[in-house]
Amino acid sequence: MRRYSSDWYWYYAINYTLVIIIIFPIYWTLISSFKKPSELITSEPTFYPHDLTLQYYDQIWNFDRLKRLQDTETEDSDSAGVEIESKFRLDGEGVKRPFINSAIVSAGTIILTIIVCTFGGYALTVLKTPLKNFFFLLVILPILIPGISLIIPLYKLLKDLGLTNSHLGLILIHTCGMLPLGVFMMRNAFNSIPSSLREVAMLEGSSELKIITSVMLPLAIPGLLTVMVFAMYVSWNDYIYAFIFINSPENTMLNISLMKIALGGSQFEMKWGSLTAGSIVSFLPIIIFYTFLQQYFVRGVTGSAVKE
Amino acid sequence: MSRLRKEQLVGLLMVSPALILLAVFFLYPLVNSFYMSFHKWPLFGKPKWVGLDNYIFMFQDERFWESLKFTFVYTLTVTPMLFIVALGTALLCNAKAWGTTFFRSIYFLPVVMSFATASYVWLWLYSEMYGVIIYALEFFGFGGEKKNLNVWKTGTSSMWAVNAMVTWKFSGIQMIILIAGLQAIRDDYYEASKLMGASRWQTIWNVTLPLLRPSIALALILSIAGSIQAYEQFVIMTRGGPSNSTKTLVMHTVDMGFDYFKLGPAASLGVIIMIILFVLTVIQLRLFRKNY
Repeated sequence: MRRYSSDWYWYYAINYTLVIIIIFPIYWTLISSFKKPSELITSEPTFYPHDLTLQYYDQIWNFDRLKRLQDTETEDSDSAGVEIESKFRLDGEGVKRPFINSAIVSAGTIILTIIVCTFGGYALTVLKTPLKNFFFLLVILPILIPGISLIIPLYKLLKDLGLTNSHLGLILIHTCGMLPLGVFMMRNAFNSIPSSLREVAMLEGSSELKIITSVMLPLAIPGLLTVMVFAMYVSWNDYIYAFIFINSPENTMLNISLMKIALGGSQFEMKWGSLTAGSIVSFLPIIIFYTFLQQYFVRGVTGSAVKE
Repeated sequence: MSRLRKEQLVGLLMVSPALILLAVFFLYPLVNSFYMSFHKWPLFGKPKWVGLDNYIFMFQDERFWESLKFTFVYTLTVTPMLFIVALGTALLCNAKAWGTTFFRSIYFLPVVMSFATASYVWLWLYSEMYGVIIYALEFFGFGGEKKNLNVWKTGTSSMWAVNAMVTWKFSGIQMIILIAGLQAIRDDYYEASKLMGASRWQTIWNVTLPLLRPSIALALILSIAGSIQAYEQFVIMTRGGPSNSTKTLVMHTVDMGFDYFKLGPAASLGVIIMIILFVLTVIQLRLFRKNY
């Protein structure tokens, strides 16, 4: 169909309508997070912010500092109490600490996953490891049983190991969850590299570790990126493990701290302002990854679903 | 030490972190979930063997049946919604036209957002009085004169509200699976169909869909397995309410374990979820094996 028939107008009309529908919730959240309270909470929604403000971002990011300020101000000067209170009435939660916590867990999961899966994939492909096929079956076994059905024994295990309430516990659980797809992807990646390359390096007297880092990994970058992006996706987007295994405020993960904002708050406009700002903050890292590593993202996320 | 021997040792050493992680954080909890489900777990002291008591307790619990029923209703309603949108967008993206890569990356965009974030975003869209969806619905005459539309008022409306969010958030994954299936269909079929004078809808109905059957089955199984694990969207958006009418199986398990501290029954619930998902995954893998 080369000619411009009316079909094509329909085709693009439908597609662009869908694009608008898909983008709208994100766009709406983004502009809501910049609207002044009076514009945010109104019976006549505006489709772009007339007055930009960063106050919600300021509140959720600098929550602890503002809280301290508020506490000292109200203690010091009772006379000016009313005014200061209206200026610094804080609701909900700060997200700075949770953001850092989530970043630590995600970074830890990515690094550990890459190390474990690279070595695992290498040993199960290139090297003459005994029981190779059995080990491989063992490693991909978890795809048959989603981790969500093991939350109770996992909680017990972490408790016995003293790893509840710790970032390490979450990192280890996420890494274990990444094993099937990670080892599978790395195995595929190494499989496609000709074995002669390794033999040449061996003749030159390189150690196995040297061969991995300088010969094999540079050739396995697409596989590596897929594993990395998926590890980021799994750990950053996790809710249930973070909710169950972490219970002290200083170790809270980002997604959980947003729940506290959604639940609390006596001021309606501050609650929704903070929640939309918080949603944007939690979406930002993942959208940056998506923008630059889109094809790996699609492969990783659907690969995990399909469990090839 | 011979070279082979050395290589074997290095191999074992390299695979050992993966195996240790697997043994501690997968195999042990897996075995333990059965062990826990046959024992009573008092807050203090040793666990006591109680046989099937935990399962009996669980099966006699009305909340279990309610959550099971709700999980199935949710699965049965959200699966067709997801599938229709996924199939539509997959067909659109498979056309030989300018811009399909762009459209595909936009349709996939909500998938990368976490379920939690998507729930918060839609919570705001549905927010009472000021949510933009509520505003739009009222504009079109829903909710009557008083303008007090609240989607969270009844269990049914809450579920449909969450379904809409999930469709927005998740159809992208199924779209990718269906696109992969569509791309595997050879052009000959379409050409033959064209030669026979079939209209576009006839081609879709009689050529595309039958050939796409394996991918369709895969997408449907995925959606069913995913819906049975539903947790975040309901915890965040409905909190199981109103009056526990939107409580899913996983939510019930978490409540049982961490609100009522009944670890035994909670473990037995975990075993039930595990069996359901195991059966679904086996079907899924068989489908995948057979067709790819």
